[in-house]
Formats: sequence, C-alpha cells, structure tokens
Amino acid sequence: MRNTLAIAKKELAVYLTTPWAWVVFTGMAFISSFFFIASLLSFKQVQDTARQIPGGWAQLPPDYQAFRNLTDGVVLNLFGVILVVTLFAAPFLSMRLLAEERRQKTFELLMTTPTRAIDIVLGKYLGAVGIVVATLSVTLVFPLILTVLGSSESGTALEWTTVWLGYLALVLWGATCMAIGLFISSLTESQMVAAVITFAVSMVWMLIRAIAPNAEEPTRSILSYLSFDWQLQNLLKGVMDLKPIVFFSSVIAFFLLLTHRSIEARRWT
Amino acid sequence: MAMIEVEQLTKKYRDRVAIDALSFTIDEGSIVGFLGPNGAGKSTTMKILTGFMPATRGKARVAGFDIFEQPLEAKRKIGYLPETPPLYPELTVRGYLKFVAELKGVPRKSIASEIDRVASVTGVTSELDRLTGTLSKGYRQRVGIAQALLGDPALLILDEPTEGLDPRQRKEVLELIKSFAGKHTVVLSTHILAEVKAICQKVLIIHRGKIVANDSMEALTKGKETGLEDTFIQLTAE
Repeated sequence: MRNTLAIAKKELAVYLTTPWAWVVFTGMAFISSFFFIASLLSFKQVQDTARQIPGGWAQLPPDYQAFRNLTDGVVLNLFGVILVVTLFAAPFLSMRLLAEERRQKTFELLMTTPTRAIDIVLGKYLGAVGIVVATLSVTLVFPLILTVLGSSESGTALEWTTVWLGYLALVLWGATCMAIGLFISSLTESQMVAAVITFAVSMVWMLIRAIAPNAEEPTRSILSYLSFDWQLQNLLKGVMDLKPIVFFSSVIAFFLLLTHRSIEARRWT
Repeated sequence: MAMIEVEQLTKKYRDRVAIDALSFTIDEGSIVGFLGPNGAGKSTTMKILTGFMPATRGKARVAGFDIFEQPLEAKRKIGYLPETPPLYPELTVRGYLKFVAELKGVPRKSIASEIDRVASVTGVTSELDRLTGTLSKGYRQRVGIAQALLGDPALLILDEPTEGLDPRQRKEVLELIKSFAGKHTVVLSTHILAEVKAICQKVLIIHRGKIVANDSMEALTKGKETGLEDTFIQLTAE
C-alpha cells in the first residue's frame, strides 16, 4: 500500500515537472473555453428569439428547447466537447507511464526493490487517474462562471446534480482511457507508439456505435452496448445510471489485470 | 554464514544460453569481484540474484531467502546498482532518494536522516536539490550507489560501479566500496582488473556462462604483480 502511494506520488511529481501535463491543461482550457463561448452565444440568440416571437418557447422547434436553461443549453453541450478533448489528451498523458520506465531502465529499480507488480500497476494507475481528474477539473471553471453570473427564473442558474453526474461520466471515460493507455504503454518502449495505439483503440471503442446500425441482430445490440458513447449517454444527460459505472469499472479492472500480466510476462523474456 | 547461495543456475534467452549451471556461495561480509569478458553473463547473473528476472533453472538464495519463492524478503536485503543508474531526470536527487527509500520500506521517520547519511557517504550532499537529469555522469553514478545504500542492506550488488568515471572519481568510489568490508557483503562486476586487485578479497571469473575460477585473490595472482591478468587471459581464452 505504501509503495502504491509512493509510486502514485512520484508519477504526479513527474507529470507536473514535465511540460506534458501543462500542455494538456492548456489545450483543455483553450478548446473548451472556445466552445463554451460559442454555446453561450447561441444560447443567448435562442433566448432572444424566444422572447421576440409571439407564443414564445412553444413556437420554437424541438431542437431549441434545450436552450431554455443554462444546464442543458450550455453545460451539457460543453461536456460533449470535453469528452472528445479527453480522448485526444489521454494518450499523451498515459504514453510515458511504463514505456518511459523501460527506456530509462528505472523499471529495474522498481522490480528489484520489495515492490510487488500489483503495487506498480495500482500506483501508476492512481497517478494517471489523478492527472486526468486534474485535467478535467480545469473545466470546472465554466459551470462556476455560470453559477456566479447566470440567473434563472426558477431558482439557481445551474442544476449542479446534473453537472456532477456529467463529471462522473467524464471521469469514468478519462479513467478508462488511462487504463487502456497504461496497458499499451507496458507493451512498448516507444512513447509515440504507445500514444498512437492508445488513441486508435479508444477512438474505435468510442465510435463503435456508428457501425452498429448496419449490422444485424444480435451483433447490433452487442456493438451498441460495447460502445462508450452509448454507455455514457444517460450520465451525460444528467440521468443517474449504474450500468455505465459497472461497465467502465469492469473495463478498467480488465486492463489493469492485463497490465499486471504484461509486467510479469516481460520478466520471463 | 553464506549471504548468497547459487545452485545450478541457468538462464536461456530462447536458444542462447547466457549462464550455464552456475554454482557458488559468497560469504557474509566479503567483497567479491565478479569478472568476465563482455557478454560472459555477469549482468544476467546479477539480474537474477536481484530478482529482476527469473532463472530458467536452478536456485538462488539471498540471506537464506529463495529469490524466486520469497522475493520480497530477499529483495529487502539487497541494494542494487544496475549497469545504468536508474534515475528519473525529472526528480531532484532528494526527491529521488525519498522515493526509493519509500519503496524499500525505510520507516517514515528515519527517511530524512537516511537520505543525509547515504548522501554524505557518497559525497552528493551538495547536489541534493539538483534535478538528477542535470547531473554529470560521475554524480549520476554516485546517486545510483547512494540509492543502493538506502535502508542499509546486508548485500550490495553493483554492476560496473566505476563505469564512466574519471580516475579521481574511480578512486573515490573504490575507496568507498572498500570501506564497506565487514559491514556489507559486496558483489561488484567490472572488467578492470586493477580495481578488483585493489579492493576484492575473492574473485569469481565467468566465461561463456560458466565459472572458470572461484578463489581468493592470493591464489589467483600467485604472488605476481601481473598474476590476475595472466590468470584472466588464460582462463578466458577461446
């Protein structure tokens, strides 16, 4: 346990002394603020339209109904963007986890101190999840701005329950990407290779639903069930759902197990 | 008491036999030179002894613990300096030593004093707050040795500890290792025979994965100045 925490702490220290984490934080802040402003503008436009036309909201097409409140109109839109940015950012954060240890020969240090392979896997993963949570929390500034400056005819400007459920979905997604990345990083010494493969795997897994409609049953149901965006859709809309939590925890556990096996297997070659 | 007992230790990398049925024991408190031409199997043996990789066949015990059956207990007794000092360039020397001390299970309260102790023994006290990535080769090697000393392990396994050092640093490191006599058991590999002559009491020579000599220094030098070189060249001839 102590070794796990020591490794996690070391990972975070290394992340924050190398430019990578800061580049990712900046990228996340930049891209999401861009989309934040864009959705604020369309929010305002729709609100103005609704006020001007006779009949108000009832006359507007269903697409516009989401813009009746800030939570649905702005924050939920933003979550979609953050999800995609996380997909791009996670491989860059996870690529060095084990590949770098191997290249720098520090893997020998970890393996020759009284540290079990499971401590290495959990410590690395804990550090990785820490940095993903830090990246996602950069975007908390947007709902905070809305809470402070926004107003609503009915109570608070934002429904924070919905916001937190959305963040739960984002953290699950980020943590899953990092588990995949950790495993792929354990297979190679090259960080670039690790990043590219991690990106490819998470991307395909996320978009697998796109090919589902053309498939026949039962393949179609299986494909949609396995796709990350289908699993996340409820949480991202602010509907509490246990299914994705179980699903993503299993995927994470599976990849951590693979990482453990891969570390052990490497010793035998 | 024997610190290291090795029986019929064999390691194959696919078809290539790296070490072939090695058997030897090393007594507590002695400084042993582990010699052999490049590619003889020195590093492989050390990697097995430290539990980094398992052997294909055979047994290795460190301080009475089987390195394969009871790896954690055995590893607690070992301080290991691999061929390349295993440093994280992003950490400061102090941060790095603290990390290794935690991995080795040094009690939290004594970590700071333990870092000061190994830093002063290896002469890196003035560099404690520099990033290890910015250190010169000599200092990197010393930090590597400092790391091995953390937790005061009974056995030190040093793979080419003087590699890449200038003559003065070489001398300092050798004197440091010599001062361990009686306190730690030291196994060091090198291909510089003069170093071995200066500090080791016992010499183990391996060639193509087999032990060709395992004797005290006096027996191998036969009293002559160039005795060790002669023996080495003769034993490791084709």
